[in-house]
Amino acid sequence: MAHDDDILTGPVPAPDDEPTAAERAHAKTFADLVDKALVGRPPAAMSADDRALLEVATVIRASHGAVELSASKQRSIVEDALRQAVGEGAAAGGVTPISQARRARWAPWAIAGASMAIAAAAVALLALRVPKSASRAPEVGAVTKTPTTWTSRPADPLIGPIAREAADQASARIDYIFADRLDGYRERRLSRGGTR
Amino acid sequence: MKTRWFALPAVVMTAVLAVTWIGCTDREPSPAPATRLAEPSDVIDENLMISLLQAKNFHRKAKVYMSDGNLVAATASVRQILSLQFPKGAPEADDVRLDARALLAKLLVGQGQLEEAMRTVDEGIASSQRESFFVANLYSVQGEIHQARAAQLEGEAAKEEKRLAIASYDKSIAINERLQKQLMEEK
Repeated sequence: MAHDDDILTGPVPAPDDEPTAAERAHAKTFADLVDKALVGRPPAAMSADDRALLEVATVIRASHGAVELSASKQRSIVEDALRQAVGEGAAAGGVTPISQARRARWAPWAIAGASMAIAAAAVALLALRVPKSASRAPEVGAVTKTPTTWTSRPADPLIGPIAREAADQASARIDYIFADRLDGYRERRLSRGGTR
Repeated sequence: MKTRWFALPAVVMTAVLAVTWIGCTDREPSPAPATRLAEPSDVIDENLMISLLQAKNFHRKAKVYMSDGNLVAATASVRQILSLQFPKGAPEADDVRLDARALLAKLLVGQGQLEEAMRTVDEGIASSQRESFFVANLYSVQGEIHQARAAQLEGEAAKEEKRLAIASYDKSIAINERLQKQLMEEK
């Protein structure tokens, strides 16, 4: 367990002096501390002197290139830097691969572009679409036929052949014709074909 | 910020779907009615009904006279039908007038006025616009007049009138057959 002492503030020993037992014990303790820090298991608490020494040791080790970050850590750092460079904040949690970040950034534009293309196709469809009524030949006969009973027409189908014995019975025939035409006249007047 | 970016495509997609739906909606106008408003020139109108009613009344009047044996008054009443005004081009006008001529000719025959009767029939046949059962009826009456003439004549003249009577009846029969066949085909 490290603790504060005067190792940093005490007198500096001569280079050829034999280390004292206390110095050896302290060196061994600090070596253990450095080893633990290198493997990522630094102690929860340490003295201010030990912390300062540990930081110096870490810097010296890193400056000699003996320390390499793990691949995931390297990637995370690089991606964070790049993300900040393009205007986004650093990832709040977890590391997001750049490829995913790029997709997320372009996805709205891709969807909007596809939507615009579909809209253009719909507009083109509306513009080029030919109404069914315009492409269909008018069925004049079926559409414009007036009900026969509304029309003034020959009385032959109504009267039929006139027997010789009935040649002078025009009075009965005019009654028949009048009644038939009155039916048609009333039907037309009471329907939408009437003029009033 | 991200929420706004994803809202834009959603709005665009909604607009696209709406436009597409409108475009695909069948905007064909409702089918035209099976009938059109009848033209004044070919429908049964008030003028035609008035003319028919007048003809009907003159026939009734003539019938009353005939029931009293007053053939002269009956003839005058029927003759008035010939001068009735009908709507221009109404087929009923031709039919009613031809039928009136047939009755008029029969009345004249009953009064012994064969020449006047024949003139009445001939004028009717000549004025007819088309073949009809009423024209055929006129030919039948014409045949009867020829028979009446033949009854008053002798020798070759009588034979000639009988031959003409047969010819008139044949014309009447031929017209009736053609019209009946035509009507059967139309049904």
